[in-house]
Formats: sequence, structure tokens, C-alpha cells
Amino acid sequence: MTVYESDLPGVGKKHEVDLGDGSRLVIVTHNTGKREVFRRASADSDSEKLFELSDKLARQVGTLLEGAYFQPVQTETIETLLGDNTLIEWVEVGGDSALAGKTLGESDLRQATGASVIAIERGDELVTSPGGDAMVEAGDTLVVIGPRAACREFTALVKGT
Amino acid sequence: MAAALLEFGYLFAVLAVVGAVALRLGLSVIPLYVVGGVVAGPHVAGRFGLPYVPNGEVVTILAEFGIVLLLFFLGLEFSLDRLRASGAKIGRAGVIDLAVNLPIGIAIGLVLGWSPVEALLLGGIVYISSSAIVTKTLIDLGWIADPESEPILGTLVFEDLAIAVYLAVVTSLVLGGDGGVAAIGRSLAIAFGFLGLLFVAVQYGTALFARLLDVENQEAFVLRALAVVVPISGAALALGVSEAVAAFFVGMGFSTSGHRERLEHLLVSVRDVFAAVFFFWIGLGTDPTLLAAAAVPLVVAVVVSTPSKVVSGYLGGRAYDLSAHRSLRVGVGMVPRGEFSLVIAALAAAGTTPVMREIIPAFAVGYVFVMSALGTVLMQRSDLVERLVFRGGAADGEASTESA
Repeated sequence: MTVYESDLPGVGKKHEVDLGDGSRLVIVTHNTGKREVFRRASADSDSEKLFELSDKLARQVGTLLEGAYFQPVQTETIETLLGDNTLIEWVEVGGDSALAGKTLGESDLRQATGASVIAIERGDELVTSPGGDAMVEAGDTLVVIGPRAACREFTALVKGT
Repeated sequence: MAAALLEFGYLFAVLAVVGAVALRLGLSVIPLYVVGGVVAGPHVAGRFGLPYVPNGEVVTILAEFGIVLLLFFLGLEFSLDRLRASGAKIGRAGVIDLAVNLPIGIAIGLVLGWSPVEALLLGGIVYISSSAIVTKTLIDLGWIADPESEPILGTLVFEDLAIAVYLAVVTSLVLGGDGGVAAIGRSLAIAFGFLGLLFVAVQYGTALFARLLDVENQEAFVLRALAVVVPISGAALALGVSEAVAAFFVGMGFSTSGHRERLEHLLVSVRDVFAAVFFFWIGLGTDPTLLAAAAVPLVVAVVVSTPSKVVSGYLGGRAYDLSAHRSLRVGVGMVPRGEFSLVIAALAAAGTTPVMREIIPAFAVGYVFVMSALGTVLMQRSDLVERLVFRGGAADGEASTESA
């Protein structure tokens, strides 16, 4: 992928992304933070504006495009907000956790907390939509979805605090 | 005191109304602020016995502050490094622009029998495009995403530098008065001495600026910035040196201090308020009956300098290796004139001859009014311009229908 960057004095910056089929995505980042996204069908044609986003919205949409939901991140503090109160969290299972060595069904954390495990990351391996018989081991990272309070409770249980 | 505050309130009420009209009609605000000043000023409202805003000292000082902030922001945005980085292309397009349009304006003045300084003032007014109007129209039309935006914005950057040098010279020539060659030489020496020192100080003073502005409190931040730029500009003017160029240099110094974005963010509304007062003030000093006296230079300048900008812009676009079709847009995009032509007119109004004091400011107001409107319309209807120019060339005609 080739990205062309150019300065727009007094306006901001422009990035052009080659889409491979001769067309380009043009992103104008204003000094105010506003992003305007255009598509140029060919080198000769004029850019067509697709949409514009505020700085904040652009960052949120950027996270979505980046696919961050499906990339387990190793730190405990990372969380992704879906709605006003729904979180996706990454929780690491410590060696002394009560969960280690049990299946999800045995721990039955969904009943206890209201948060569901949507994926288990073990080293390079990813188990998506794990069933009740999925085994949790020390060192695993659990990807959890649920209301904010449920996620908090879940994290506390896993860590044994 | 009460009367002055009331007049001031009247000023802002008029600005708000004409600003709303401009927004509604999709026009540029700058010429309409000027018209607001003309109508609410002594020459129109005053003549008809209506309440009017007198062209007093307070408005003049606030307008001056507007000029200082306009040029300060220009300096903030300006970067010598950027100019150096894409130097060759900007240089070529900028030199073409300067070499075509400044002499044309000067020639018009000389043909009218004006003095060289008067002709030079006319040249500047005709030469300098409006960064504000051009940039806004580029964004409105979506050209900002297309290759033509680069030569257009690049040429505007070059013009910024050119106008700094120009103002430094012309301010000395105008304020230096009629003392002959020796007096002009002395005022030029003072100007370049002062500005040269300021330029060097600004280049090496980055660390100082950075430390000065390193404060969390917003109020303190804003006041400190103003406490640098306004006294330096004032000192420049007191010496007969261009306050605008001094403000430009200070802005350049601040731009590399690491506080540029915060400065822009916190000062932009201050600039907009006082720039509006400046445009209004230009209107206050404009007697519409003088427009008749300026009619001949006005018509000649519009007829000659519209195509000359299109041609110089076209050549500038070619210097950026753009197609003929896009290069023509570069030319069309450079047509609007605005704030800097009015800054030059304000300088002329401080001059000594009747042409400088009356004809040139009236000319500039009429010229900016026509060129801002004409330029914006040409940009909006560039498809028609392209069809007109490329009538013979079928190959270039295809591009404009493709996006439909």
C-alpha cells in the first residue's frame, strides 16, 4: 500500500491512499481536527466527497476500521466502548486465578457476573466463541463483553481480588 | 463614553447582520463587512442624517490590531522549512505569479499618470490573492482533495513571503514622505535594519518563545502572546516600519516554538473579531462617491488582472506538472483578492497625495468587492470556464463529464 502525504498550508494535511484499482482514497485532516474523506476514481477525475467526521468521531471510526475489536491487546487497561455502557475488555488469567484449570462451564461466570467470554487467546492461538467445555489456563487472555459493571465484576473474579 | 460604547455596539450589530447575510447567500464575508462599514459610516448613514459610526480613533486602533493579528497568523502558518522543502516548485509558480501580476498593476498605475509609489501600491493590490477567500472556496468546493490545491496553496505561501518584503519596502516609501531620495534611503535603512534584527531575533529566539508560552493557564498564555506581538508591532510603526511585517515575523517565531496549534486555537476568534473590525473600518473610510473617480482604474484592473491571474496560475499549475485541465483551475483559483489588498489600501490611506489617500482606498474596496465575487463565481462555475477555454481541444473536455 502506498500513502502519499502532502502539506496543505493554512488548512492541514492530505493523505492519499492507493486502493489498487487505480482509484485513491483522499483524507484531508484539517488543523481544526475535522477529517474529510474523498474518493478519486482515477487520476484524471475529480475527488468525490464521501463523508466528514469530527476529530473525536474520526478516532472512534478509525478504531473500528483498524479491527481493534479482534486484536487482543496485552495490557489490562485497554477497553473498547461499544455503546454508552457496553464494554469489550481483555482480561489476563493469572497463575493463582480460581479460573485456571477449569472449563468456562464449571466457572459459570456468565451467570455470576452477566459478562460473556467471546474469545480466548492462548499464545498465538485464538479460540473464538468458546463453548462451556472450553478450558481456561493460566496465562490465557479472555476477551469479555458485557455491561460496564459486569465487566468490572468479571475482572475482579478472574484476578481473585 | 456612553456614546462611544453605543457606536461600538452599532458596529458589531452591523457586522453580525452582514455576516448572517453572507452566510445565507454563500458569499465571502470580507467584502460584505466592508460594505457594512460603508453603509453604517459617515459617508452614507452620516450623509442621510441617520445614526452612524464615526471613523474615530478607537475604531482605528482596533482595526490596526486586526491587521497585526491577520499578519501574525500568516506568520504562524508560514514556515521557511516548508518553503525550502518544496522550494523549487513553489518558487517557480510563485515567481511566475509575481512576475506577471505585480508589473501589470504597476503598469496600469503608470499609464494613468500616477507616481511610481502610487503605481507600486496599485501593483500590490492587484498582485496579492486572498488566502482567506481562496482557501475557504477550495474547501467548500472539495478542490482541497485534488492536485490543484497544492500549487494554489503553495503560491499563496509564496505570496505571503512576497507581501512581507513588499510591505516592508512600500511602508517606508509611503511613510517616508516626500523628503527626497535621502529620506527614502534612510527610512528604508531603518526598516531593513529593524526587520532584519527582528528576523534574526525570531530565528534564534525559539527557545525563549517556547519558555514564555509554557504555561497551563489559558488567560496567561493568550496575554503573553499578545504582550510580545503587539508591543513589537507598535515599536515598528513608531519607527515608520511596517507593523504588519513585524507581526508576521513574530508569528514565524512562535510557529516553531511548539505552541503553534494552541496559539491558533485560542487566538483564532480574537483574530476574526478584530479582522472584521478592520474590514468594517476600511468601509468607514470609503466615500462611495469616490468610486466614480476610481472607476477607470477599477474597470481596467478587473479586465486585465482577471485573465492575468488565470494565465499565471495556469503556468504555475504546469510548473507542478499538472494537466492543462487542472492547471486552468489553478489559474481560476487564484483570482479572488481580499484581505491583503485592503491592508495595502490602509497603508495607502496614510500617504500624502490625494491619489493615495482617496483614490487608491476607494479603488481597493471596489476591486476587492468585484474580484472576491467574480473569483468565487469563476471557481464555482469552473466547468464553464474550462469549456470556454478548451472549446477546441476535445481531449481535455472528457475529464469534466467523467465525474457525473
